[in-house]
Amino acid sequence: MLAAAAMLPLAAVSGCDGVDVLAAPPSPARDVTVLREAITAEQLLITWYTAVLRDARNAGSSAGLTAVLEPLLAEHRQHLSQLKSRLVIPAGSAASPSPTRRAATPAEPGAGSAGVAFLRDAEQAAAAAMMDRLRSAPGSLAQLYASISASEATHVPVLDAAAAGTTSRVTG
Amino acid sequence: MSSHAAPAPGTVTALQAALAAEHAAVYGYGVVGAYLSGSEQATATTDWVAHQVARDRLEAMLRSAGGSQPTAAAVAYQLPMPVRNAREAAALAVVLEDRVATAYLGLVALSSTAIREYGAQQVQASALRAATWRGSTVAFPGLTSAALAAPRRPHS
Repeated sequence: MLAAAAMLPLAAVSGCDGVDVLAAPPSPARDVTVLREAITAEQLLITWYTAVLRDARNAGSSAGLTAVLEPLLAEHRQHLSQLKSRLVIPAGSAASPSPTRRAATPAEPGAGSAGVAFLRDAEQAAAAAMMDRLRSAPGSLAQLYASISASEATHVPVLDAAAAGTTSRVTG
Repeated sequence: MSSHAAPAPGTVTALQAALAAEHAAVYGYGVVGAYLSGSEQATATTDWVAHQVARDRLEAMLRSAGGSQPTAAAVAYQLPMPVRNAREAAALAVVLEDRVATAYLGLVALSSTAIREYGAQQVQASALRAATWRGSTVAFPGLTSAALAAPRRPHS
């Protein structure tokens, strides 16, 4: 009983009008949480692309792979920029996103063909996740998710071709 | 959608816009294919059929959306650019796909989850076809520069 009483908010005990001041901040709206997840997902893709490109350069055989990956990385950076522009943070809220779900994939994509295969799977998963997000999003945000999902879907055949050492239908 | 339920506001307009884009694509791919040969012509034929299937699906969706009469195809369409060779034919295909993707994004903004998903799937299909003809990918298939420059605040 003592422990429970000690946990009561001060305002409730004192009976003053300070409940709103002392109450926990409201949870972010569902669409804000989903947008932050989308931002985190794009940041993760950018991290993975950067790692594969770095490994390719370190291996000294980067010319072909760099030419394939850099344009895709640039598009992810555009995705991230556009997603961030849609995030309106109310005054008094934490500026940084709260921890969100991460894909159940290894943190390091690996080098060479393994890295490309990793990116290919990551793109496919990212495109599917964006499709999931648009179901309950506000209209204009749903359109952005759909467009980004489509862009990421077009990256898959490019990476398939890169992994196979051929020219894709997309890049042909 | 039930045949008896009134469609949500904007549904018929967005479906008609997508249908109009599909009609134009079906016509346009006829021109595209005429300037191609071999595997490129086969690709154009595949894409042409895909647009015919999508057109038929949209017409069915419109009929079930309160019995709306689907927009008819025009007898002919003015091409957005001259087409005199295979390169220009591929460029026309890109324009057709971009316009189709933009029209389907109109469905994605609707409240019906089923229509949203269909619209998004079609944006994706169109983006894949456009990337093939363009020879590269783009960051925002179907979204206009105006839409990207002035995003609406989702949480005000």
